[in-house]
Amino acid sequence: MTPLIETTHLSHRFAGQPVLQDINLRVEPGAIYGFLGPNGAGKTTTLRLLLGLLQVQQGEARLFGQDIRTSRLPILKRLGSLIEQPSLYGHLTARENLEVYRRIYGADKARIDAVLQLVDLAGTGKKKAKQFSLGMKQRLSIAIALLHRPELLILDEPTNGLDPNGIIETRELIRRLNREEGTTIIVSSHILAEVEKMASHVGIIHKGKMLFQGTLPELKHMQQGKSLLQLDTSDNEGALRLLQSEGAERKNGHLVLPFTGKDGVGRVARVLVQNNVDVYLLQPQQNDLEQLFIDITSGN
Amino acid sequence: MSLAISLRSEMLKTRRTASFWLALIGAAFIPVIFFLVYVLKADKMVKQLQMMPWESHLFMNWQVFNAFLFPMFIIMMAALVPQIEYRNNTWKQVFASPQSNAEIFFSKFLAVQGMVLLCVVSFNVFVILAAVVANVIHPQYSFFKASFDWEALVRLNLRTYASVLGISALQFLLGMRFKSFIAPVGIGLALLIGGQVASGFHWEHADLIPYSHPTLTLQSIAQKKGGWFVQHEYLSIAYAAGFLLLGYLDLRFRKEKG
Repeated sequence: MTPLIETTHLSHRFAGQPVLQDINLRVEPGAIYGFLGPNGAGKTTTLRLLLGLLQVQQGEARLFGQDIRTSRLPILKRLGSLIEQPSLYGHLTARENLEVYRRIYGADKARIDAVLQLVDLAGTGKKKAKQFSLGMKQRLSIAIALLHRPELLILDEPTNGLDPNGIIETRELIRRLNREEGTTIIVSSHILAEVEKMASHVGIIHKGKMLFQGTLPELKHMQQGKSLLQLDTSDNEGALRLLQSEGAERKNGHLVLPFTGKDGVGRVARVLVQNNVDVYLLQPQQNDLEQLFIDITSGN
Repeated sequence: MSLAISLRSEMLKTRRTASFWLALIGAAFIPVIFFLVYVLKADKMVKQLQMMPWESHLFMNWQVFNAFLFPMFIIMMAALVPQIEYRNNTWKQVFASPQSNAEIFFSKFLAVQGMVLLCVVSFNVFVILAAVVANVIHPQYSFFKASFDWEALVRLNLRTYASVLGISALQFLLGMRFKSFIAPVGIGLALLIGGQVASGFHWEHADLIPYSHPTLTLQSIAQKKGGWFVQHEYLSIAYAAGFLLLGYLDLRFRKEKG
């Protein structure tokens, strides 16, 4: 199957400074692709290149199998997008904002009610968009992106600045679109916990480089190899000697060894108790994926 | 016709903006003042308008309108339409929608021209209304008795419109280019004053400045009644074509959009 988005060796410079280096993004049909990275990592630049808002300097960006440089309009007809802050006309109502784009996308009039219903803005009537809360603005922007039932949605930090309720609603909406309409979605974020709750695939970008790309289970698997078991005993020196074969070491003043699952924890406890070492603390580090994200992005 | 679709979308965006009211107020301003003068100073004005009342009335109105108010209105409008996108931070959405660069650029230019048209048509209506209503209030006026030269009015409209086309295209280019509203309006105002000085002093090359063209048209109409387009009006149309092409290419080859 051809991926809906595929970039090959995509690189970009701003005023001579490299902001993207050799990005090979691949989004398969039907995926919710979480595009992760700290602020300034190059997420928005990548998405702007995909939409043709920035000119491709080096490498290639293909959507639906077509090159964005040569097939901009046919590509844009098939996708919906939300880049950074909501793009709305403050002096117009929700319905009027949708009407501005309805004809451009060739959507019929009934779609306006449908998408208003979908993002729960049907009751806003004559209220102008500038009077909306940020969450409502964000939802209206998503409604515009959905007017023509796009096959692909490109959402740049759609939950940025939203309150917890807004975040949950947006997440639910994304999942529902994917499940019910089969929309492929690429959604960028700097918060892993959020992506973890909805994405099927994850790409992690940092300082313009792609550090990881794969399914969520693959990321979790990678995390397992990296996470640690923290230990405190009555005789840490002795414990260190006893657990040498398990790979124990001192790290930041703590005694740690690689976490290999529940069985491993039991084995460690048994060894210590059998050798008359009292165990005060034996705990896998809690920060799971969050820690991995920090490890990945700070290690490079 | 996708240009028509884009234009429709542009017209929707101007709903409830200041542009619409600016067009009507700009058009009503001068006729209202003349109307007040006709009503309040009737004895003096009746005498003055005895010979050829319509010609004098039309020319007095157009003189003020054409020389400053109309070009100024165009300068504002050419900046206001692109400002809708800058102010709302919506350029990115426009460029990420399936519209070609040409559709985006020319639909906005046509939206500006639509506002200009609205202003001119309403101005004509208000000018005629001012005379008619004044005559109803003071029957001494001779507007109803005198003949009305429709052809002259159409000519006046078309020649004036041709004379401002160059300004409107250059100002539109500036409005699309600058993020701020003040910059294109300020530049336009300065150039307009420059153009008026040049044409006022009958500088021999004044016809090369687009901003002199409206005044030159007035001068030409005042000198010899009748006649269609003259040289500087053709030049204004040529300037418009040139600046539009330039503006389009500027947009087309922008490396970063939205």
